Amino acid sequence: MNNIINDIRETARQLLADGKVDVVIGYEKGSLPLKATPCFVRSAQEVDRLIWDETCENNLASFVANTPGKKAIIAKGCDSRSLVVLIQENQLLRDDVYIIGVSCPGVVNKRKIEAEIGEILEATIAEGTISVKGMEGSKEYSFADVKDATCQTCRYPNPVIEDIHMGVTIEVSQSTPFADVIEMENKPDSERQAYFNQQMSKCIRCYACRNACPMCYCPECFVDCNSPKWLTGGVNRAENLMFQAGRVLHLAGRCVDCGACARACPQDVDIRAMNRKSAKDVLVMYHHEAGISETIKPALNEFSADDPEAFLVKE
Amino acid sequence: MKISKEKFGQSFDALAAEYKTIAPVSDAAGVVNYEAVESFSEVKQNYLNSKLPPKSFFFPQHEKLLSYVKEGKDVTVKNELKVEKTILFGVRPCDAKAFLLLDTVFKNDMFTDPYYFERRDNTVVIGVACNKIAPTCFCSSMGFSPASSAGADIFLIDLGDSYQVEILTEKGKALAAVFPELVELTVEDQTLVDTIKSAQTTSQVDVSTITSKLEKFFDHSYWDTLQEKCIGCNSCTFSCPTCHCFDISEEVRNNKGSRVRTWDGCMAPLFTLHASGHNPRDKKKSRWRQRMMHKFNYFVHNSGDISCVGCGRCIKSCPVNLDIRQVIDGVNKAELVVN
Amino acid sequence: MIMGECQVKVYQPDTSAFKPKIAAFLCNWCSYAGADLAGVGRIQYPATIRTIRVPCSGRINPLYILKAMANGADGVLISGCHPGDCHYISGNYVARRKFALIQSLLKHVGLEDDRVSYSWVSAAEGGRFAEVVKGVTERVTALGPNKGVFKVDDGGAAGE
Repeated sequence: MNNIINDIRETARQLLADGKVDVVIGYEKGSLPLKATPCFVRSAQEVDRLIWDETCENNLASFVANTPGKKAIIAKGCDSRSLVVLIQENQLLRDDVYIIGVSCPGVVNKRKIEAEIGEILEATIAEGTISVKGMEGSKEYSFADVKDATCQTCRYPNPVIEDIHMGVTIEVSQSTPFADVIEMENKPDSERQAYFNQQMSKCIRCYACRNACPMCYCPECFVDCNSPKWLTGGVNRAENLMFQAGRVLHLAGRCVDCGACARACPQDVDIRAMNRKSAKDVLVMYHHEAGISETIKPALNEFSADDPEAFLVKE
Repeated sequence: MKISKEKFGQSFDALAAEYKTIAPVSDAAGVVNYEAVESFSEVKQNYLNSKLPPKSFFFPQHEKLLSYVKEGKDVTVKNELKVEKTILFGVRPCDAKAFLLLDTVFKNDMFTDPYYFERRDNTVVIGVACNKIAPTCFCSSMGFSPASSAGADIFLIDLGDSYQVEILTEKGKALAAVFPELVELTVEDQTLVDTIKSAQTTSQVDVSTITSKLEKFFDHSYWDTLQEKCIGCNSCTFSCPTCHCFDISEEVRNNKGSRVRTWDGCMAPLFTLHASGHNPRDKKKSRWRQRMMHKFNYFVHNSGDISCVGCGRCIKSCPVNLDIRQVIDGVNKAELVVN
Repeated sequence: MIMGECQVKVYQPDTSAFKPKIAAFLCNWCSYAGADLAGVGRIQYPATIRTIRVPCSGRINPLYILKAMANGADGVLISGCHPGDCHYISGNYVARRKFALIQSLLKHVGLEDDRVSYSWVSAAEGGRFAEVVKGVTERVTALGPNKGVFKVDDGGAAGE
């Protein structure tokens, strides 16, 4: 890890000193233990603020389009996939962004730790072990046990698009993709309905999920639209589900499953469960995964004469 | 004076028959929030604080104010305010203090908001001092402490198997009539009470000069970079016990409709968007400035107090870790450029 | 004969039985014309659908379906040209991918399978249009009224 950060800082320093970029978008140490925070470095003197570790959980691609000038961005596998989609959708010029690719071992799920040992007072990460002192006690965790749910199912830890690579590449585990979705699908309808009801009743409609998502860049989101008024602003289970379902359908074939939405959610709503269902459908039906190649057309921009039609009404 | 938790629980259960009782409850995942309970046994003990603030019991996130039906030329309007006698148990000092701040928003010399105050006046707030202090708590910097009783009608200090009881208001006195005889504190109890009362938050910020500094801070370049990482969601405002902005809209279908009030938040661009398309706060910069100015300057002018109680909820819920303590520090440290 | 003695028996539908309200989004060029043909040919089908004409099935926004359910429709019927027959060449091919994903997602979150139905009906298939509506009506009737996975009471003002 330490070598990687030195390389990142050195690269950032060079880019800024040579005037190749105006800003480097990366992570710096946050105010809370086990939490990094996005930072915007604009001068070579400041590059030592940059850090890189398992707490760098935000998807920085969501800042790229709104940051003026030439920019360098530190991109994990999922962030780089987001960048590919943004470039494909003409939200970003490839020439305007310098991608510092980092192979990502996954990010830590702070909430899982806090559920066990209370609010975290201090934490250190070393060699795959996280030592945490919480309000209710101290514990050592193996990183693999407290990895974020997204990272546990990650199939693209290595950047798919980059200008320079930091660190070694990470081998991808060959477990069944979408095992979690399949498990959910096999449950009875009523059980799934109950699960989503319960999840949606937690939502407070702060829109952190939407705003943390690099793909949610609509100038006017359908939830904010008042003619037609899709949603009334009422915060109840049914409307929350409509918001989430509408969002999932807008992201169909575009969602790169970075998990930024779920990590951003202050209420810990399982937002990914729906997004992943849609991602699985896109893979199974259209053999497409979002953002893994700049040349492959997005699934919903394409069609074929023999696309599956199982959804048609039985006659 | 104190009461054993067992006896307090019995009184609570007896009151639950007459009052709607709301108390901190833990869900399966260990998340604590205020919910209606039937018995004291459901109440979560030793909780830090609720995830969402209890303000929603006086000022719900989404509330029908009135409804109307038009039939021919007749319009019938119905007041939708429903009030129940309520006990709000287990409110932490920060949230109780927040009620006092919210009171000043919903009542001034010209107008009193009936929806807020009908509920507020019919609710007895039982505060409980904090035995544990989270690393994100900074109430000691905001002019009170983890054992302040301000805003509560009855204030309890948890002594393990009993509560030290302070009855602070007439409302509290009326409710406490059902409590059995209170007993004297023992010497050990008194020591524990003193420890809890003298506890301070470990995290501190300096707000002594922020109000006056912000007077001349409107055009400061500090705002330019402060907000860069903010994603503009409303998780800070919705989890804030003092944020109180709302939107009123008409939900109409055919000949029926209702007027509803919904929480709104200054971090979203839509909040200030005019019908003309003009937006006076169209940038994150102006929205963040508004948040800080409102809490630490405008509110002081309007109500005489800073509109932040140091509960730390916004710090914990922020997806990008934009920490209000650091923002306050930043304002303190920034140099004022005199033109 | 005076009117009062008229022996013609007026058909009185049983008003107590549940009659679903189904929002039908029909494409202008095929399915709407198919519905028209059913009408011209006096082919009977249940009066359960409320037709909303759209230029093309490709124009159907997923939110139309969700909003219809939110507003309390008991069912939604979507119909466009047969693949290959789109007036705009590929509108229904694009729509087909979208529909497959919508159907799958709605089932996943717990909406009953038959609430939302999709079909291709051409301008020549008046009889088939009537059959489709009959079939959809039967299935939605069997499900009963909108159970509210998405339904928002009172335009959202009721809260929960």
